[in-house]
Amino acid sequence: MADDDSPPARSTAPATAEDAALQDALAAAHAAVWGYGVVGAALPVRDRGPVDDARAAHRDVRDELIALLDSRGTDPVETRAAYALPFPVLSAIDAAVLAVTLEDGVASAWTWVLDQATERATREMGVSVLTATELRAVGWRAAAGRTPVTSAFPGLPQP
Amino acid sequence: MSDSLRGPAAAGAFSRRTLLVATLAGTAALAAGCTGGAGAGIDAVTPAQADQLVAQVAVQAALVTAFDRALSASPQLAGTAAGLAAQARVQLERLRAAVPDADASASATSGSAVPLAAAGAREYLRAEIARAADAHATACPGFSGARAALLGSIAAGLRGQAGQLA
Repeated sequence: MADDDSPPARSTAPATAEDAALQDALAAAHAAVWGYGVVGAALPVRDRGPVDDARAAHRDVRDELIALLDSRGTDPVETRAAYALPFPVLSAIDAAVLAVTLEDGVASAWTWVLDQATERATREMGVSVLTATELRAVGWRAAAGRTPVTSAFPGLPQP
Repeated sequence: MSDSLRGPAAAGAFSRRTLLVATLAGTAALAAGCTGGAGAGIDAVTPAQADQLVAQVAVQAALVTAFDRALSASPQLAGTAAGLAAQARVQLERLRAAVPDADASASATSGSAVPLAAAGAREYLRAEIARAADAHATACPGFSGARAALLGSIAAGLRGQAGQLA
């Protein structure tokens, strides 16, 4: 009886490849939430609407992933105390390039989730998140002056 | 100590991408193993999935035809959307490579014989791209492994394309 009342065993190590991929996606979401703070700080207040929207979207995904992993008995990875920027963010262009970097990182994580997932619901979530990420990335690539602004294979190696 | 913003993601991305490349490049050989009855794990395809993949190739082939039709009808669109058309073709090539039996891969449909008016070409193309994106996104969760990743990625890429024509 005592065993029946025991809480499920928990671990920081994912039990499945799908959960490991979800942990990577969660780490990418943490980085995106933090990184968009930097993006916003480099932009005038009047231009921060898309930043706020993007940050909120990544927060929502982060919270959904935390709940999902928690329900599976896996301790979700936590956000880092700090992150090192890949380059100085000193202008609006820098901010847009950083946003592209963040979205591309998230896209890469979610294509891996699609690759590793065994649950149909996880793949449905993956397509949804990947699409939202690419839509944001298109806008940021344009703001960064990159061409093309679209990607044939978001999250996958480009041809 | 701080962690690189690209640290966990970039390091992971490298290994993930490398593995995905290998996985996708090995799709044909893996599928050949499936038809021979070998256990292929997460990347195995059922006959129904193989048929579905052929259907997705047909969807993408129809989109490529739609690009040709729209760009022929509107020189202005041809000047702005040629890059999108090239991406659609590359997507088609990679989808065809993912079909287990390459001989079963669908070819482009002939499309409508009715000439397309230049004024409606942009909206026509946007709708066709959205239709293809819907089809790939709907099909994606029915697959596993590299094929699920490929369909999901193409669906997302097409959504981004459609937004450029809105």
